Amino acid sequence: MVNPVLLIAVPLGMTFAIPLFALFWKAAIKYIPTVALVFNLVVSLLLLPKVLENPVIVSIGGWRPPFCINLVAGPVGILFSAIIALVGLLVSIYALDDIKEGAAEKYHMLYLLLLTGATGVVLTGDIFNLFVFFEILCISSYALVAYLRERSGIESAVKYLIQGAVGSSLLLIGIGLLYGQFGTLNMADIAEKIDSASPIYLFVPMVLLITGLGVEAAVFPLNAWLPDAHSSAPSSISAILSGIAIEVGLYAVVRVIFTIFGASSILLFLALLAILTLLVGEMCAFSQNNIKRMLAYSSIGQIGLILFALAIGTSYGVTGGLFQLLSHTLAKVLLFLAAGYMIHRAGSMDISALEGIGAKMPFTSLAFAVGAFSLVGLPPFIGFPSKFLIVRAALATKETVLIVLIGLALVGTVIEGAYFFRVVQALYFKGEKQNPGRKEAPIVALLPMFILVLPIVVVGIYPKLVTGVLNSAATEFLNRLEYIRNVLG
Amino acid sequence: MSFLNSHIYYIGAFGLILIGLYIILVKHNLIKVIIGLGILDTGVNLFLISVGYITKGTAPIFSRPGINSEHMVDPVPQALVLTAIVIGVAVLALALSLAIRLYQHYGTLNLRKVREQRW
Repeated sequence: MVNPVLLIAVPLGMTFAIPLFALFWKAAIKYIPTVALVFNLVVSLLLLPKVLENPVIVSIGGWRPPFCINLVAGPVGILFSAIIALVGLLVSIYALDDIKEGAAEKYHMLYLLLLTGATGVVLTGDIFNLFVFFEILCISSYALVAYLRERSGIESAVKYLIQGAVGSSLLLIGIGLLYGQFGTLNMADIAEKIDSASPIYLFVPMVLLITGLGVEAAVFPLNAWLPDAHSSAPSSISAILSGIAIEVGLYAVVRVIFTIFGASSILLFLALLAILTLLVGEMCAFSQNNIKRMLAYSSIGQIGLILFALAIGTSYGVTGGLFQLLSHTLAKVLLFLAAGYMIHRAGSMDISALEGIGAKMPFTSLAFAVGAFSLVGLPPFIGFPSKFLIVRAALATKETVLIVLIGLALVGTVIEGAYFFRVVQALYFKGEKQNPGRKEAPIVALLPMFILVLPIVVVGIYPKLVTGVLNSAATEFLNRLEYIRNVLG
Repeated sequence: MSFLNSHIYYIGAFGLILIGLYIILVKHNLIKVIIGLGILDTGVNLFLISVGYITKGTAPIFSRPGINSEHMVDPVPQALVLTAIVIGVAVLALALSLAIRLYQHYGTLNLRKVREQRW
């Protein structure tokens, strides 16, 4: 049987092999992330059927939990690590041609380090270990935002770093408070002991943990860094930040709320915050002229929708939230990748500069349109079943507040439709500008886009392909006693 | 006084954390903000250490016979703090290198003047 530790160890080892390779074989380094992520994808897919029956608990150092650092490769962990590996692999193929300027080996190192951190966060069962992997993820993303060394990139990276560092400190204080009360860092062990503690002492650590993690998850009042960072990073990094980094932050928030605290009383507040996030994101996206900023704000909106679905707190709701997370990751990565080459060819990020590009770059524009329609939630793309599931879950609760909130979420979706259709219309139906320099994106960039279109359409038509996995993942989130029993035995 | 005596480390730690947060929120100069981040980090580390500290405790090593494990300090927070210090160093180093770049591009470290990106 494959050991889930390899999902972290192999990419981490490969990361630090890159500078060694760079000494004597410089042409090879850009393929190393691709190789590492192929490995991760294969291992995740091999593990997936096994963990659906029984989560694999790996104890590091030969001690039994809770005395060791352990990895919990349950359905959630392996589902996320498979998504991270798939998306990371496709983006690394895209970056083969896209990243030419600057120090390439630093880019590839940081990129692989970012994905290692993300995989570590979703697999670990130890809250301090989660903090460490989270910091790996954050520090490499600060550096990658500034990778192009332009004015805007540096400015956004500074903002991102200050906000992220404060968030991490709050997270660490929260962890310290939990350790002071329970004398353990194992998440299952804390979860087991937490019911015996008085709620007054739990409130402060919970708020600190949620705030600290919420900065990276871009929940509404904490997301001022996101549009700047996502729009001024290189396109491949924007795709990873939008498709992986904030989702991993969201995973951590949900893991803390559902598994560690088992807090159902806070869910309504989170649902309110989520709808605020959604409306703010969609309305800001509507007023943007810069296409990457528009996509970044749309990520805020989508994060709001995902968080809302997870905060419904029923089995349907959590399944819908995870489904929406999957569909957002696929569609938003596709959109950023397609937009990246359109911006290269048009020489500007303004939507008006992209007019008529649909005739010159038919495949890229088609990929963009598929991603846009899927995010809006049109059938037959993956966004339709996921949004449908969320609406159904909210209506099934029969709670007035949630039904009102889902109504507001649908208003957000209408705004989303409006600005995405505006871009697609500009691509295809607006005035033909004479610009003979434009040509189609290279095949290494088209291939990942095509591979992303495939699951978007196929899962959109047969949602049953993924609902089984998503259901068991939702069960892992909701059934914390089962989680505790699995880890502590 | 006994409250002050028994909680002096916590008071110091949260004092440092609040000072750090104040500097980050109020100061305009990026270098000062980075110093604030450093103070915040130090406060968090001091807090973690004081969680596991016992007054007049010893290192958790059975170095000589007859040593009592009840007077040993908890080693786990110290391991955590070692990690946290390393992470803090990485963040501060990255922040300072970004500050150099920012100064090259904008000719200023005043964050109120570096506002090209807006909502």
